[in-house]
Amino acid sequence: MDSHAISELLIKMIRRTVPELADHAIGRNDAMADLGVDSIERSEIIIATLETIGLEVPMVQLHGPRNIGELADRIHAKQTP
Amino acid sequence: MPNKPPEPCSLAVTGIGVACGFGHGKPALWDGLLSAPNLFGFLGRPGRQPFAGQKRFIGIEMPDPPSVLAPRVERTVGLSGRVAVSVLNEAWQEADLDSFAPERIGLIVGGSNFSSRESALASDDDMARPGFISPRHGHEFLDFDLSGICTASFPIRGFSQTVNAASASGSAATIQAMEAVRSGRVDVCIALGGMQDVSALDLHRLRALGAMGSERYADTPNEACRPMSRDHDGFIFGEASAALVIERANSARSHYGILSGSAQIVDGNRGPQPDSAGQQRAARMALAEAGLCGEDIDYLNGHATGTPLGDETELESYRQLGLHGAWTNTTKSILGHGLSAAGSIELAALLLQMRHGILHPSRNLSPPLDDTLRWVGDTPQPHQIQKALKLSFGFGGINTALVIEAPSQGAPQS
Repeated sequence: MDSHAISELLIKMIRRTVPELADHAIGRNDAMADLGVDSIERSEIIIATLETIGLEVPMVQLHGPRNIGELADRIHAKQTP
Repeated sequence: MPNKPPEPCSLAVTGIGVACGFGHGKPALWDGLLSAPNLFGFLGRPGRQPFAGQKRFIGIEMPDPPSVLAPRVERTVGLSGRVAVSVLNEAWQEADLDSFAPERIGLIVGGSNFSSRESALASDDDMARPGFISPRHGHEFLDFDLSGICTASFPIRGFSQTVNAASASGSAATIQAMEAVRSGRVDVCIALGGMQDVSALDLHRLRALGAMGSERYADTPNEACRPMSRDHDGFIFGEASAALVIERANSARSHYGILSGSAQIVDGNRGPQPDSAGQQRAARMALAEAGLCGEDIDYLNGHATGTPLGDETELESYRQLGLHGAWTNTTKSILGHGLSAAGSIELAALLLQMRHGILHPSRNLSPPLDDTLRWVGDTPQPHQIQKALKLSFGFGGINTALVIEAPSQGAPQS
């Protein structure tokens, strides 16, 4: 799955986890924290995304990205070691 | 310097929220108690199916609670949590707790293992995919999560804690809440009997212990729950939860009744064994605090679960306490045994009967184990309760008693 598709999947999981964001425009340049997503919700979103693409990565390796696009790039990189 | 003893004060219940097999809210409970239709059937929630080759479980399951939480929070909260905020919301609105400073409001939740059924389902799921365990499961397994859900959703900032006294947890929460108000720790305290969402394994274990019926009525659920009847063979589960708002009695605020005596003691038994001496001691302590004796009580709401030894032991306590003159009925015959919430929903039922001046009928009572007592049979009984006794007992030798008196003359009724 390419980084764009991963970011689309992340955004889908964000909307599912925080139903209040269902109609909110969300793109690769948005940061989850700026959208009001809390730290446990962020973990839920990432775990749901990883499970969907069948990738097991320790959460600690996914800290650092500043927005959804960078997070998708990081997950993409883990997918193809 | 020794602590100053708390000033004696009269405590009142100013708000009630309830959930049970009849649905959510006091009107559903009151209508149901009066008409007493059968609610018992075979339990059907996921995670409550008997293991292969075993008999189905009998009990009562409640309708889905109304939605109180924001969708984002509600998504993360299980059944016992959604029920807790529903009963809390009802009690909160009635007592107008928004008019209190949040720092002066406390919450005591009674019970433990509230989400046992959903936790078992989640455990199966987590063990099957350990790489993708939800981080939420890391705090949801704690009993305190129910308190966390409540205080994150309502402006309660005084304190919150969870107390467990087995099937007397609801009453223990009430007694702790009374203490918190009496001591001045808070101005108002909510006692919430949490919903015991039992799993299939819990039910199998209670059946193995011999406490839960029903062998005799395995195919006729409507007859299975018969507290204080000669044909009883164990308690029958019924989902329930209730919240009661407790504060110092104030003639300007509407209240359901006055809590004038309370006691919680242990009798030294570890398991389900009842102990009449312990029951009597608790009752006498609560009565003494209220300045009353057994003969003064005109309505008794017992623990009355329907286990053969439990009922016989409790009847011996009634006789020794001089409660022959008191009207009595069996709330569990209609609602089932709410376990952690039993003491709370039954106190709510008592206070509704006090307000309406009618005692609810008892189901499946005939023939009663002791026909010298003043039973309310299968039709409602008009009676204005003046002085009531509520008993709740729990595994582990727990005996609790509460004395409840009619609202002071001139207090607003609604």
